[in-house]
Amino acid sequence: MNAALRLRDVTKSFSGHAAVRSLSFEVPRASVFGLLGPNGAGKTTTLRMVMNVFAPDSGTIEVLGGASDHAARDRIGYMPEERGLFPRMSLEEQLVFFAETKGSSRRLALERLPFWLERLDLDPKWRRRKLNELSKGMQQKAQFIATVLHDPELLILDEPLAGLDPVAASSMRDVLLELRRQGKTLVLSSHQMETVERLCDTIALVSRGEKLLDGPVSEVKRRHGRNTVVLAYEGDGAFLAGLPGVGSVSDFGRYVEIRLADGGDAQAILQAAAARLRISRFEIVEPSLHDIFVQHVKRHAAEAVA
Amino acid sequence: MRLLPIVRREYLERVRSRAFLIGTVLGPILMAAFTVLPSLLMAKQRGKPLRIAVLDEGGALRSVVESALATRQVDGRNRFEIRPAGAGAPEQVRERLKQAVLAGEIDGYLFLPRDALERSVAEYHGKNVSNVMDIGVLDRALDDAMIGLRLEEAGIGEARAKDVMRRVDLKTLQLSERGAREDRGASFFLSMMLLMTLYTTVAMWGAALMNGVIEEKANRVVEVVVSSISATELFAGKLLGIGAVGLTQFLVWSGFLLGLSLYGGVIAVMGGTKLPEIPVHVAVLFVVFFLLGYFLYGALYAAVGAAVNSQQEAQSLAFPVMMPLILGVMLFPMVLSSPDSALSVVCSFVPFWTPLLMFLRVTTLTPPAWQVALSIVLTLASVVFLNWAAARVYRVGILMYGKRATLPEILRWVGRA
Repeated sequence: MNAALRLRDVTKSFSGHAAVRSLSFEVPRASVFGLLGPNGAGKTTTLRMVMNVFAPDSGTIEVLGGASDHAARDRIGYMPEERGLFPRMSLEEQLVFFAETKGSSRRLALERLPFWLERLDLDPKWRRRKLNELSKGMQQKAQFIATVLHDPELLILDEPLAGLDPVAASSMRDVLLELRRQGKTLVLSSHQMETVERLCDTIALVSRGEKLLDGPVSEVKRRHGRNTVVLAYEGDGAFLAGLPGVGSVSDFGRYVEIRLADGGDAQAILQAAAARLRISRFEIVEPSLHDIFVQHVKRHAAEAVA
Repeated sequence: MRLLPIVRREYLERVRSRAFLIGTVLGPILMAAFTVLPSLLMAKQRGKPLRIAVLDEGGALRSVVESALATRQVDGRNRFEIRPAGAGAPEQVRERLKQAVLAGEIDGYLFLPRDALERSVAEYHGKNVSNVMDIGVLDRALDDAMIGLRLEEAGIGEARAKDVMRRVDLKTLQLSERGAREDRGASFFLSMMLLMTLYTTVAMWGAALMNGVIEEKANRVVEVVVSSISATELFAGKLLGIGAVGLTQFLVWSGFLLGLSLYGGVIAVMGGTKLPEIPVHVAVLFVVFFLLGYFLYGALYAAVGAAVNSQQEAQSLAFPVMMPLILGVMLFPMVLSSPDSALSVVCSFVPFWTPLLMFLRVTTLTPPAWQVALSIVLTLASVVFLNWAAARVYRVGILMYGKRATLPEILRWVGRA
């Protein structure tokens, strides 16, 4: 089965500054893919090239098995990071307009509209209202409907949960997973690691325009090994950082996370700790995506400076 | 091509806007009010005759001048009402008349010095001396009286004198291939009105286009749109949509004019001016030159809009775009006074000015058809080129945020693939 999206050696620079360097990744169909990275990593530029908002300097982008041409783009829904709608156009007219620009007929768009309004808890009474009369949250929902109303196979969502309150974010997550179950492919960029961990099947981590790692979330975590110990205790644990086999200690207040040094033995650390502290919790865990993210990005930044 | 939704969106949003309603409906009403009301008011005011006394130092002229003034008619009514100057030394009479004028008992008095006839001089003293029309009538009445007196002295009888002094009624007729037609200033009025409409609408819709581009860029909706539709299509769609709005406005205005010519006869008569009719070829060329001007300047305005981030930033870049348009307006008097001079002809062939100046020449004397056709072709070629270049600037500009682009940068965008 071919990929929904495939980038090969994609490079783009703006007036001398390289925004994306030789980026390659693949997104399997009917999966959720997360493009992660700190601000300025090149996520938005990458997604814009996928949408052919502008062309890469070199490299190829394959969308739904072909070039990112008109026909392909009609099958994609794109929600840019900077949301944008027409402030003086009514909600309904606006959503139908966006569907039309994707080649949907007015009739079809109007048919599908009630479903989406209900799915996102938008009262139909707002249909005739102008966008600038709607609340921020409602505008966010409207933006999402504008992205999906033409029933795209591939959704490209730049920070889909940004700016949503916890309730709206959770229902948005449900909607996204529902779309995946229907066989849609989702590509989202985010730096909210929790979101990514819950939603994504595959990820790629980029920093300064370069890919640092990619692969299925479970595999990425496994690759980083079970090298983290969570320890909760009573007493002064300041000596923990000095124990042999300890790489680093992150203090979270109620507990600490100890990253093992290469060849470090978790059991030896437990014994040493138990000798001086009252241990209430000891667990060997996979690192969180957050840890992996921070670790890689920091190292990459340090390399860039060096 | 996905032009249709774009064109429709632009068109509907603007036609439904309050600004369009105001500009289209209220505009002509205000314009009519401004042109018709003053002449109506003037006509009304003219109805009241001026109360005038004649102070003749010599005494020989008074009766002749008084009767000349008393019989002078405007619109079938006596224009002057003669009031007695009163007896006494000239100095005293003068002082009395002055007080009478200041007290509003009379409107003014005519002072004829002792040597008035020899030196052909007279003075009018009044509170209001800026009513040009009345002063003109007074002047002519006085002329007639004096000349009549001199002719009498020369031995020519009164009846004969009247015959000798009969005025010429000068009619102006505009010649064209379509035959002559009488014209009493209406043609000039019409030229100016159409021209100013052309200038205003081109500038107005061009600026509307620019502001639309800036707004869409500022609220980032443009990125959503160009992810489905190419920037070039969006550019074309906006240009066409707003152009259609401009044409709609003309359509509404033509309706107004039609209504006015059917039911407005009353107004026209009251105002004392004949309503000018717009020949078909002028109407057609008006639309043609509007479209040429709109697409030419609109392309530039859209490019400026794409290159900036806010309306404030647009000011300095929009100025060079406005400049040729304003210069064109400044050339109006020159072209109007000698529409066929070499300079006028050359200017009317400059694509930036053709929509205004060639049209002006068409309304004033109908230049040879080949000149009109050639100017249209030249402008069309410029329109095509400028739109091509502007579309490229637009494509790059709408996704450029941050600092304002400089002119050299913008020109580089044109060359970018």
